[in-house]
Amino acid sequence: MDTKSPARVTSPPTKRKATPRRDTVPALLMITPAMLGLLLGVVLPFLAAGWLSLNNIRLNSPRPAVWFGLEQYARVLTDPEFYRGLGNNFLFAVIVVPLQTALALALAMMLNQPLRGMKVFRTFFFMPVVFPMALVSVIWKLMYSRDDLGLLNALLHWISFGAIAPIDWLGSSSTAMLSIIIMSIWQGVGFQMIILLAGLQGIPTSLYEAARIDKASWWQQVLNVTIPGLRNTLIFVVMVTTIFSFRLFDQIYILTQGGPNSATTTVMYQAVTSAFTENNVGRGSAITVVFFVIVLAITIVQRRVLREEREV
Amino acid sequence: MSNKMTLRAGALLAAAALLVTGCSGSKSTSSSSAAAGKATGEIKIWGHQGEQGEVTALQTAVSTFNSSQSDIKATLQLIPSADYTKTVSATKAADLPDVLEYDGPLMASFVYDGKLATVTGNVAQATVDNQSEATKAQNTYSDSKLYGVSMYDSGLGIYGNKKLLDAAGITYPKGIDDAWTADQFQAALAKLAPLDADKKVLDIKENYGGEWPTYGYLPIVNSTGNLVMKDGKALGSLDSAPVVKAVQQFASWRTYVDPNSDDKAFVDGRVALSWVGHWNYNTYAKAIGSDLVVMPLPDFGAGTKSGQGSWAWGIGGGSKNQLAAGAFLDYLMNDTNVKAMSDSNAAPPGTKTVLSTSPLYKKGGPLQLFADQGTKTCGSNVPTKACVDTPRPITPGYPVISQQFSQAFLNIYKGGDAQAELTKAAKAIDQNFTDNSGYKS
Repeated sequence: MDTKSPARVTSPPTKRKATPRRDTVPALLMITPAMLGLLLGVVLPFLAAGWLSLNNIRLNSPRPAVWFGLEQYARVLTDPEFYRGLGNNFLFAVIVVPLQTALALALAMMLNQPLRGMKVFRTFFFMPVVFPMALVSVIWKLMYSRDDLGLLNALLHWISFGAIAPIDWLGSSSTAMLSIIIMSIWQGVGFQMIILLAGLQGIPTSLYEAARIDKASWWQQVLNVTIPGLRNTLIFVVMVTTIFSFRLFDQIYILTQGGPNSATTTVMYQAVTSAFTENNVGRGSAITVVFFVIVLAITIVQRRVLREEREV
Repeated sequence: MSNKMTLRAGALLAAAALLVTGCSGSKSTSSSSAAAGKATGEIKIWGHQGEQGEVTALQTAVSTFNSSQSDIKATLQLIPSADYTKTVSATKAADLPDVLEYDGPLMASFVYDGKLATVTGNVAQATVDNQSEATKAQNTYSDSKLYGVSMYDSGLGIYGNKKLLDAAGITYPKGIDDAWTADQFQAALAKLAPLDADKKVLDIKENYGGEWPTYGYLPIVNSTGNLVMKDGKALGSLDSAPVVKAVQQFASWRTYVDPNSDDKAFVDGRVALSWVGHWNYNTYAKAIGSDLVVMPLPDFGAGTKSGQGSWAWGIGGGSKNQLAAGAFLDYLMNDTNVKAMSDSNAAPPGTKTVLSTSPLYKKGGPLQLFADQGTKTCGSNVPTKACVDTPRPITPGYPVISQQFSQAFLNIYKGGDAQAELTKAAKAIDQNFTDNSGYKS
């Protein structure tokens, strides 16, 4: 950003307006790599998914695809399991997005104090983000183990002097999703925290000084300086967390395989198992296309509701 | 930002698309384009890279084969086991080697896709005759042709800790004939539980993932006298009343099951019984020595049943040198090679001669049970009281069966409604078979 601004200052806007065409060719040339990437990485695969979803295709089969029309969509949209997965995705998002954002904000504000050794704390809180989700899931699987060897159960047993019996965290429909949520927040909160921390440091200290002169309490400062100052950052964080939570897959695949009794099944999990475990590529593609439309709709609505303040 | 979503899904599907279109170029279907050739020339071999001992045994077999004669030159290529099946799946039949290894339950898929040619006529009759009954059953497709030969098999049973069983005053079965009924097994669990600190006395390898539920628990279905599918339909077979009852009963034992997250429940003496395959024998024998006893799985009505099947060797569907490939397989299945392999991985040998002399599996050996189970194979017939080993369903639709059964079984195990779950799985399997015309053409 800083490297750009002097250039903007030196070239007067009037000059740019006078010769608008001179920029067109270099501009097109410059966006070509990005557009090519988008085309090859996003547009083509999506069109391929659309085509695959209209056929009956087995993974790795030498047989030609059989035209299926909208059959896969009809099946997906009438499958109660699909709606269960969608419901779980929404449940996860509704709990995780506000909770994780609030927690990340709290952590960021705590870690924004000008104290010695704060970098060490920041590193600690950011560490879970660096670990791959697969690794984190395997470790948490041991913590959630349903016997008294499970670390969490052992801890509860110890602090309650044996009053709390071992809980079947991942094996019971009532606690499985909760366990996944807790673990996911622990793993993901550091990422949002770092973004918010950067946002916090962008708020001029003069605003706080002015607020203090006006005798604003700490809480008033948060409400009237911090939150408005973080508006764009918060919107970004909320949207990214929403997308991340709809992508929910790794934890489920390793910890619960969608069980028990579909309590943790998600749309992504169903798409992957259809395509790569059952070799039913057509169905897997249909699920992802439907899911794409749903997530796209949510993102559009979110953007409308939470309009970012932009100068440009 | 939603692009990120599409990117992931799209990339996966694009990869799938490439594979599909890449393969559809070859016209080969079930009629393979293989040619007999003469028993001379060069042959290529693909094998999976198993444990170090297995690799050494295989490499020795190939090099001694090359030095034992001068007509055929064999070259071995090892592929890491995690990628092995994916590699074979993604390779066109014409590009596959002359000899290739495959994991037992995937044989039907490979035959269906023209990736395997029959070994009948290419290997010597003596080699076929010497294959154990169980491995012959595993390697026979629905067209009654044999598509592979096996160096080793697998076996499933229950290991017991004699000290703990004796302490609870439990008499346990000595072989197939006096296998526990499901009710007797349940009574034994109930007797063991009060003597155990956490009341968890059984290990069923809950910590295993992947295909284990199908391998380890499908024998429960078979033990009720049912297969997953009857006359090409899962509905009415997989969800029939005896199966529902059996799976429900198994699920009721969950209170006795140690989740075994550290895989040490049995060796640490936390449980008295462990429901697992032959591959744990060495570890268990080392841990509890002479206290180790081996028993068949409980009988759910139609006699005890066991899982079986393992890696096997076949001839590539596009091989132009099938007789030479067959000659190599004949050599690979000789006593020296099979014994060396079995010594290294302790699996039940795949040939009758080595099975009868193996210190572990011969009469009176500690694992004689697994050999006995293998001689009484049910093949793909409806299981009766007279047979024990039942191969996993031999059909190109196996991946769907495995996924649907595992999911339904685990859901029931965690408290789901047995009838509803099994019916749901049966319907999904049937729909997949209908979509693919029963995997017939």
